[in-house]
Amino acid sequence: MKPYSITRRVVALVLTVELIAAIGVTAFALGYERHAHFRSFDISLRGRADTIMGAVEDADTPKYGVMLDTTDLEMPRRDIYAVREEGGRELGKSSNWSPTDADWKGDAGFYTATIHGRNYRGIRVRGVRVVDPMAANVRHPLMVLYASPTYEVWEAVFGAVRVFALANGLLILLTGLLVPILVRRSMNPLRELAVAAGGVTVGSWKFAPGEDVRQVAELRPLVEAMEGVIGRLELSFTQQRQFVGDAAHELKTAVAVVKSSIQLLELRARTTQEYAEGLARCSADCLRVEELTQKMLLMARVEERDVAAPTERTDLAKGINDAVQELASVAALHRVGLNLEGAVSVTVRMSADLLRSLLINLLTNAVQHSKAESAVRLGVTLSGGGVVMVIDDTGEGIEAAALPFVFDRFYRGDPSRSRETGGTGLGLAICKAIVERAGGNIGIESVVGTGTRVIVRLPVIF
Amino acid sequence: MRILLIEDEKRLAENVATAIRDGAGFAVDVAEDGEIGLDLASFGHYDLVVLDLMLPRVDGGTVLKTLRGRGDRTPVLILTARQDTSSVIAMLNLGADDYLGKPFDLGELLARVKALVRRGKGVATPLLHVRNLAINTLEQSVLRDGVPIELSPTEYRIFEYLLHKPKLVVSKRELLEHLYDYNWERHSNVIEAHVSNLRKKLDAGDGGPYIQTLRGRGYKLQPDEELP
Repeated sequence: MKPYSITRRVVALVLTVELIAAIGVTAFALGYERHAHFRSFDISLRGRADTIMGAVEDADTPKYGVMLDTTDLEMPRRDIYAVREEGGRELGKSSNWSPTDADWKGDAGFYTATIHGRNYRGIRVRGVRVVDPMAANVRHPLMVLYASPTYEVWEAVFGAVRVFALANGLLILLTGLLVPILVRRSMNPLRELAVAAGGVTVGSWKFAPGEDVRQVAELRPLVEAMEGVIGRLELSFTQQRQFVGDAAHELKTAVAVVKSSIQLLELRARTTQEYAEGLARCSADCLRVEELTQKMLLMARVEERDVAAPTERTDLAKGINDAVQELASVAALHRVGLNLEGAVSVTVRMSADLLRSLLINLLTNAVQHSKAESAVRLGVTLSGGGVVMVIDDTGEGIEAAALPFVFDRFYRGDPSRSRETGGTGLGLAICKAIVERAGGNIGIESVVGTGTRVIVRLPVIF
Repeated sequence: MRILLIEDEKRLAENVATAIRDGAGFAVDVAEDGEIGLDLASFGHYDLVVLDLMLPRVDGGTVLKTLRGRGDRTPVLILTARQDTSSVIAMLNLGADDYLGKPFDLGELLARVKALVRRGKGVATPLLHVRNLAINTLEQSVLRDGVPIELSPTEYRIFEYLLHKPKLVVSKRELLEHLYDYNWERHSNVIEAHVSNLRKKLDAGDGGPYIQTLRGRGYKLQPDEELP
């Protein structure tokens, strides 16, 4: 689509509409004026023809009967007229014209003709002149021709129409000058909005268009939409920044541990055994850095795309079996049983390695927080077009106050608990991201002293 | 000297505590969160608080504010992974004396800990002099007219503590509190034995005793030469 200017479009539209209206009005005026003028023209023609008729009098010589007395006739110079008796004898005519036979032949009424190169409109009037009614009562049937040139009428019509056309032309000119200014002025809120939107940066999320922008009905949806978008962007940016800040904190702390472990060894000369123990501690500290890095990368990978690709699909039962087998040794070490109930063979929208991460994370949590000689239960059931996995442990539970935050990144519920297990604070956040990516949801219930239950609901692909 | 370390990262706390115990010879108590930290600090027998900012339960900033709100004037060294200027300024304005960004150098941490303890006692340099004794608190060495006197770590720590409080009476209980962290068994006769050994090593018959015993009250360092 070609770039265009709304101002220019509006101006063009207004001018076009106005031009069409002006042409219409002028055409109507032309028609009306023509009609009105010709009406009065016709009335005056008929009147003049009657005058001519009236001017027919007794002729001086009785042989002729009647004649046209032109002495008192004062007709306009260019008008033409002629009278003749029915039968053919011409009684008189204007001096500037001689009628032909064709002129006489024709019905009574109006007609047009070209005389001396001009357009004329004329009238044929039939009448009866009764001369000397008392004495002889002789009836003379007469025919009068009377015609006037029409150019004067047309001049009057065009004169009137010209005024209309001129007024319309002025109006269009005025509109052409004013509309761009007005349209541009009414676009001011749009420009203000652009300035306000242009001021939004990653550093400053303040988006406050003036009240006059908000008062424009056409702009309000746009302002509201922009506010929504900017608000969501800000939230997302703040969360990202928070994550980066937290991640930096965790990494720096982990590095600080490694660095201090090494420098502690360097503080003074040590025995070989002390060095060996110190190195073992350094190695363990490095493992924690490694684990933290891996979890962060996994988190980044899960969050790379919000929605799982349709090609990602894995059999849930197989994933569960693999995870349970993988964790068997860890569970045995903690002397915790792993009970699998109701394996359902369904396909979930998740890649195999993410499903593994999810199950290993959840089951490891459950095993680590379980008392020795207890069991972790993993129940799988089908429900309403989806699959529900429930993981129960009989651990110490999570305080109700901490429960809403356990899925937050880097949140460590009970400090002593997380230190004991060396958690990164990312495990449950990763689980939530994995589950949500597959279109499911995850929840947690816990009773302090009794145990914790994690519920994962996943949509199933058939 | 006794230091309170408030740090939730267990391994880091272990390393820092060991470094301060070994490297500076101070007693160290470790608090795992802000709440425990505030409880321990309320005893008031610490010479320095080393404070992490990101703490469970009560965060470092609040701990600092509460400490200063109580009128506690113990020097505070902040350990932080957040090193943006505004956060540092905020901490210093809240009453922190120094800060160190993570990951820090253990040697630098020790130097700052020692400097803050010294300044807390009103001493600016690591070199102290009492009569004809020269004490280097960095090397933890004591010289009489250039000849070193061999002191055990505990003897040195008792001497250094008394040096920082010249002419003041220091009770056995105070010495115990400042020299041992809470992991140690406390017996006041341990102190008596150490002080007795210390006095023997320091006194060379060239004037009055360096350390006076005030029966039932405690000990006092006598910095001026006095005839008995």
